[in-house]
Amino acid sequence: MTRLLSSALALSKRLFNLIFSFFYSIGEIVDFFLDCVKYFITEKFYFNIFLKQFIKIGFNSLPVVGLTSIFTGMVLALQSYTGFSRFSAESAIPNVVVLSITRELAPVLAGLMVAGRSGAAIAAEIGTMKVTEQIDALKTLSTNPFNYLIIPRILAGIISLPILVIVGDIIGVLGGYLICVNLLNFNPTVYLQNTYNFVQFIDVFSGLVKASVFGFLITFMGCYHGFNAKGGAQGVGQSTTYSVVSSSILILLMNYIITSFFFRL
Amino acid sequence: MRKKKIIVKNINKSFKNKVVLKKLNLDVFESESLSIIGESGSGKSILTRCIVGLLDYDDGSISFGKLDNIKTLSDKEKMNYMSKFGILFQNSALLDSLNIRENLKFANKKNSLNEILSEVGLPQSILEKYPSELSVGMQKRVGLARAILKKPEVLILDEPTTGLDPIIARQINLLIKNLVRKKKITTITVTHDMDSVYEFADYVAFLKNGIIEWYGKARKINQSKNSSMIKFIKGIN
Ligand SMILES: Nc1ncnc2c1ncn2[C@@H]1O[C@H](COP(=O)(O)OP(=O)(O)OP(=O)(O)O)[C@@H](O)[C@H]1O
Ligand SMILES: [Mg+2]
Repeated sequence: MTRLLSSALALSKRLFNLIFSFFYSIGEIVDFFLDCVKYFITEKFYFNIFLKQFIKIGFNSLPVVGLTSIFTGMVLALQSYTGFSRFSAESAIPNVVVLSITRELAPVLAGLMVAGRSGAAIAAEIGTMKVTEQIDALKTLSTNPFNYLIIPRILAGIISLPILVIVGDIIGVLGGYLICVNLLNFNPTVYLQNTYNFVQFIDVFSGLVKASVFGFLITFMGCYHGFNAKGGAQGVGQSTTYSVVSSSILILLMNYIITSFFFRL
Repeated sequence: MRKKKIIVKNINKSFKNKVVLKKLNLDVFESESLSIIGESGSGKSILTRCIVGLLDYDDGSISFGKLDNIKTLSDKEKMNYMSKFGILFQNSALLDSLNIRENLKFANKKNSLNEILSEVGLPQSILEKYPSELSVGMQKRVGLARAILKKPEVLILDEPTTGLDPIIARQINLLIKNLVRKKKITTITVTHDMDSVYEFADYVAFLKNGIIEWYGKARKINQSKNSSMIKFIKGIN
């Protein structure tokens, strides 16, 4: 009886610790975010570094995003043909392709790809700087690491992701077009006209809002986990893992939240 | 007349359940060179990090000139405070995304770099290289150059000669001696190299078990009766 009680007590203690550490880390993340905002407003902005990061995160991700988009557009066309031909609705394929790509697939896939590519790189770079005392060195050289390292990366993420997604939108639609015209004997002009007449501002816009939010999540999580890396190479590895996993999950979660927000509009 | 510059008073520092500094007291005097010696893992680097403000101590206080307890400084004041120090980190901590020229410009935008490079015994050609392309000893000398270039109020050197060959080590010791004796920069040096101690230390503090076990003039280090310090000095000579 007492053993049962004590094991129940131990269990509830563990549960309490778990909940506590969960809220504690949320508090830390919020704190980190507020610091970013504070230093962004009050201190120096390193435009050169922002530009460098913009090229690293945005421009260098173009091939990856382009490839994912074109294949997604192609698959989308094929799969919807399979379905729609069963009730002779093939003509709706351009509409389905452009809608799915702009609203959903281009932003989410670009987000996940960039999370794996740039988010991990950011966490690894900043984490290494942390454990090798380079961040401490920055502080003693009158350079605020938030302004020098973190804010430029986050801004680059927020701005470059929507641009990547616009490119992804175009390439994705092109993928669907290629399949429909070359394989399924669609009329090229009709396909493009259909797409153009059907797509609405809100479709593209909601995708770009998502992209910006994802860009923030990726770079913010990369910076946060890198900045809190501890204990050598292993700690850096762990911080990259955390950054990719947490930003991927947050991307999917925020994707749902933003979708339902635009759904109500 | 010696004038106190930094007063470390009763500071405690522990990590989880490992106590590193235990009610440690230490005074650093203006324009003097203090060497901190002690076994590996005794907390020398932790102590210097606390002094610089990179690490918060648990309790006690560290005062610097007119600043009372540096732990209570605001973010902005803390940045300001840290910029008074020129620091050579134990593993140099050069920014590895920048080349040596950019690294040094970080410390001082105006000064020409030629002079400082020859002082630390490095060729000009090094300026366009990246830290990863240099040997550990070269990185150390760049780190030293960066610390000095700032023209700091207090110089903190964490093992400036470790990993250098005897000739370069001697050159570095003489360079530091020059800074200490001629330019009268307040210097705290963490070292295992007794040559450094004999060359340019005015005072020596021996750190063991979280406290300063012995403190005294560098000249009198061999007359000390502290058995663990005698063992320590003999051990590394
Ligand atoms: N972040 C940390 N977490 C836990 N323990 C730590 C941490 N940093 C340092 N320590 C412990 O504090 C002690 C003192 O470390 P410190 O780096 O100051 O040693 P040191 O005297 O500089 O040694 P060395 O001569 O090898 O550089 C060590 O025993 C180390 O294990
Ligand atoms: Mg050390």
